[in-house]
Amino acid sequence: MFKHAATITETNYVGDGSVAPAARAVDLTKSYGKGDVVVRALDGVNVEFERGRFTAVMGPSGSGKSTLMHCMAGLDVPTSGHAFVGDQEIGLLDDARLTDLRRDRIGFVFQSFNLIPTLTAAENITLPVDLAGAEVDKAWFDYLVEALGIADRLSHRPSEMSGGQQQRTACARALIRRPDLIFADEPTGNLDSSSSAEVLAFLRRSVTEHGQSIVMVTHDPRGAAYADRVVFLADGKVVGDLVSPTAESVLEQTMKLGR
Amino acid sequence: MWKVTVNGLLARKLRSALTALAIVLGVTFVSGTLVLTDTLNRTFDNLVGSAFQHVSFEIRGKAAFSTSSETSADSTANRKPVPESIATTVSRLPGVAAVDGSVEGYAQFVSRNGNAIGGDRSALGFSFDANRELSSLRLVAGHAPTTADDVVMDKATATKYHFAVGDRVRVLLGRPPQTFTITGIVTFGNDNNLAGATLAGFYRPTAQALFNARGVYDTINVLAKPGADNVSLQRAIAKVLPPGVQVVNGQTVINELSSAVGTDLSVLSTALLVFALISLFVGAFTIFNTFSITVGQRTRELALLRVVGASRRQVFRSVLGEAALMGLAASLVGLGLGVLAAAGLKALLGAFGITLPSAPLVFEARTAVAAIAVGVGVTMVSAIGPARRAVRIPPVAAMVTQSEEEGESLRGRLRAGGIVALGAVAALVAGLTAPAIVLVGVGAAAMFVAIGMLAPTVARPMSSALGRPLAALLGTPGQLGRENSMRSPRRTAQTAAALMVGLALVSAIAVLGASLSASAKSEVDSALNAGYLISGPSTGFSTSVAPAVSRLPGVGTVTTVYKGQFEVRGSLSGVDGVTPANLSHTVNLALTAGRGTPALAAGELLIDTTTASADHLSVGSVVPVTFAQTGHSTMRIGGIFKANPLIGSYVVGASFFVSHFNDPLPNAVLVSARPGATGVGTAVNRYLNAYPNVGVKTRAQVEQSQQNAVNTELGLVYVLLALAVAIALIGIVNTLMLSVFERTHELGLLRAVGMKRRQVKAMIRSEAVIIALFGAVIGVIVGTALGVAFAASLKNQGIPDIAVPYGRLVAFLVLAALLGLGAASWPARRAARLDVLRAIATE
Repeated sequence: MFKHAATITETNYVGDGSVAPAARAVDLTKSYGKGDVVVRALDGVNVEFERGRFTAVMGPSGSGKSTLMHCMAGLDVPTSGHAFVGDQEIGLLDDARLTDLRRDRIGFVFQSFNLIPTLTAAENITLPVDLAGAEVDKAWFDYLVEALGIADRLSHRPSEMSGGQQQRTACARALIRRPDLIFADEPTGNLDSSSSAEVLAFLRRSVTEHGQSIVMVTHDPRGAAYADRVVFLADGKVVGDLVSPTAESVLEQTMKLGR
Repeated sequence: MWKVTVNGLLARKLRSALTALAIVLGVTFVSGTLVLTDTLNRTFDNLVGSAFQHVSFEIRGKAAFSTSSETSADSTANRKPVPESIATTVSRLPGVAAVDGSVEGYAQFVSRNGNAIGGDRSALGFSFDANRELSSLRLVAGHAPTTADDVVMDKATATKYHFAVGDRVRVLLGRPPQTFTITGIVTFGNDNNLAGATLAGFYRPTAQALFNARGVYDTINVLAKPGADNVSLQRAIAKVLPPGVQVVNGQTVINELSSAVGTDLSVLSTALLVFALISLFVGAFTIFNTFSITVGQRTRELALLRVVGASRRQVFRSVLGEAALMGLAASLVGLGLGVLAAAGLKALLGAFGITLPSAPLVFEARTAVAAIAVGVGVTMVSAIGPARRAVRIPPVAAMVTQSEEEGESLRGRLRAGGIVALGAVAALVAGLTAPAIVLVGVGAAAMFVAIGMLAPTVARPMSSALGRPLAALLGTPGQLGRENSMRSPRRTAQTAAALMVGLALVSAIAVLGASLSASAKSEVDSALNAGYLISGPSTGFSTSVAPAVSRLPGVGTVTTVYKGQFEVRGSLSGVDGVTPANLSHTVNLALTAGRGTPALAAGELLIDTTTASADHLSVGSVVPVTFAQTGHSTMRIGGIFKANPLIGSYVVGASFFVSHFNDPLPNAVLVSARPGATGVGTAVNRYLNAYPNVGVKTRAQVEQSQQNAVNTELGLVYVLLALAVAIALIGIVNTLMLSVFERTHELGLLRAVGMKRRQVKAMIRSEAVIIALFGAVIGVIVGTALGVAFAASLKNQGIPDIAVPYGRLVAFLVLAALLGLGAASWPARRAARLDVLRAIATE
């Protein structure tokens, strides 16, 4: 299965020859509202997400973890600061380039699955490829649906699938273009524990086996334990960093921060 | 991406179908009109073709007026008859197989119970020629007329009114009625009559006597011998003709008649297409609104597409593609329905007294192209705005909880709407003063768009005000309906906008109609001094009526009125002839300069003030004139009178008129009673019993019949506008369905906390009534303003009085509220039937 491993392209190198991180944020701030009711969702965030690693972002509700992800994925525009995907500063891209970036270099998995209800599972998976007007890599497609266990669900509509099946379909869609980076926003938030385990195991596997880079926002310590590293956020700031986490160490860190 | 579009449409079948219905109806109207007019065109072409299929040449007087429109009715008035002797001369030429000199005129059968059969415009009398080679008429029973007592009748009349060969039948003519013996029954080719016209064929010398054509023919038809060289034969015929007489080949006659019919039909087709476009315009509002709402509801889906890599262009194309598909499907359905509607339209026109011949429907490729282009075009143009809004949806919207649709700022809306409104007013003012009807149309359309843009700014307070009584009446459900109509002002306003356009047009027409009606009354008052008006067929009636009436006891002045056409200063115009003696007793000419009766008696021309100022003419001016029978001459203007639509622009004395026309028939006879005389009306009426086609009206009856004529036209316009209103109602149904769908969760909650089904229905109905009333109120106000402006601009063209029919306008408002109630019934039922548990589970 090595042939499916993500390849590192030239643009991923920075000038000094070291490999650029998959994504990074520099002094990122994001404010909502005006005047007296300004809410600072991000308050000067500096963070790097390494290539080929599975990073979890944790924090209580309102800590800014989703906002951080939206800004770094080019879905939302930061108030100030810089966000990079590879060495590309996404603030410098116009809408068309940003769309291309999302389509070709980033994959998304959402809490609420977000499949197009009128398309079948197979059509949902190939949607990014179809939008680009490209050819589907049949072998890669077959591998994904096989690995995710949805090969027999391909002609079903989202409404005819269980939550776990829908989320696995969404994972396949995120990976079909072999993106440089996958952003997963609470991917297990709407799933039961066994479905959660399947999805997380698959994400873990795609990092280990294919060198996929993944950033996952979660508030589940057990989910975070699948990651290589956990970044903790609170009140729009990075407040902690944990490498090789276990459910216990994450929980411990969370408790500490909660105090 | 294409797949997303197509699947999306299919997934929302009901909503798509409902939206498409607006376009289906408009396209039906367009294609129906085209099919109808094509069919009529073909029918008349075939008819003309078969009438002249045997005619090699036609010999006729040269047209006197260069500007005359060559319709069959005008052509004889425009041409001098040709002497009988020509027929004999031409028949002796080598190569001529047969000649048939013919005369035609008005001849209307009377049924056994004394009523005139058919309309006076479609009662055709003519000299009957049994020559099978020259005529398309076929005797199916009996024999040709051979004496002055004989007549042949068309089979349709004979069958319907139970006449048979040997029966006696009374015939109304331009002279006292006469009774004839039916000697034969005829068909026109295979048809039982000629395009609905009744046929009365007489012995040729009798016809010449009946139709004032002693010693002359209207036309002479010539049949060439088989194998004759037509070009040289035509030249040979031309050589023996006296000056002023021409010979043309059969094809020329066919072409002239076809193009005349074509011109008439294109007027009909244009009129119908205008209403079709109005329907499509209203439909465009509905499409725009539906797409706006669905784009709003699909925000998440569209944002998601953007997240996974759809470009703005792809999203834009997706929404427009959806519109194109919907437009195409709707156009195809509309096209099919249009063919069916053509038959319906024929019946509808028939109901309003426009009789049309029967024939198979004609479907031209152009009809399909036009219908599809218009249907797809309107749908796509309407979807451009919503598509642009879809493009502006940020990708992040896929992840955040959906916010209620947010409009652009009120200030921006006010500014943009204001600019369009100013442009609209400018176009309207320019169009009404020019006058240029197209500019008026564009201005009105722009005005509606401007109001559609501005309406959301007043939607909240207006909905609140309109809903207050409902809330008071119905309690909580009414109050909730009121708040629902207030919570998305843009949606409420856009939904109401379609109805606003429909009602604005209806109101404008109502104001215009009321003004016309009031003006007609005042015209009669100001123009007519006579107590009684005798009138008959449009072709005129017997000259013996006027002298006989003047001898009746109590009758004072009798004025005979003739109507004809002449060419004055190079353009064709109507001219009236009146007997000058004691003219002021019957007609109020309201002279502003010169003299009346003396000028008329002296053979001078009177003109109205409008003509005088337009052509810079004054008393003493000499103008060139041409009469068909007497040719070119000049006339001195003897007087100028105040313009009145009841009197034509040009008036001459009766004796002058008679000497310049070929034995004209009176168009009307005005009668004034002697002071103190009673029973004049009864006496005239008793005398006229002998003339079933001539009647007498009092002044009040004249006023009434003028108003009836206006109301009949108004009725036709209302029916045609009803479709636009229906489309607007579909828009309301659609919006309510979308709202019910969108608020499933909320409706479930309301039901869960104890709202009864009945109350859910009341809530939805309240919202519908508020939307409908909102549209209706604005529509009636705008329409009244437009109607008043339109009527005011026609002050000098026959609408001196402006009348606002308040009662009728209030009735429109009540009707709109009821229609809104009707539109709510389906959505209300659907909302009431929602399963509570499932509705709550819906996100």
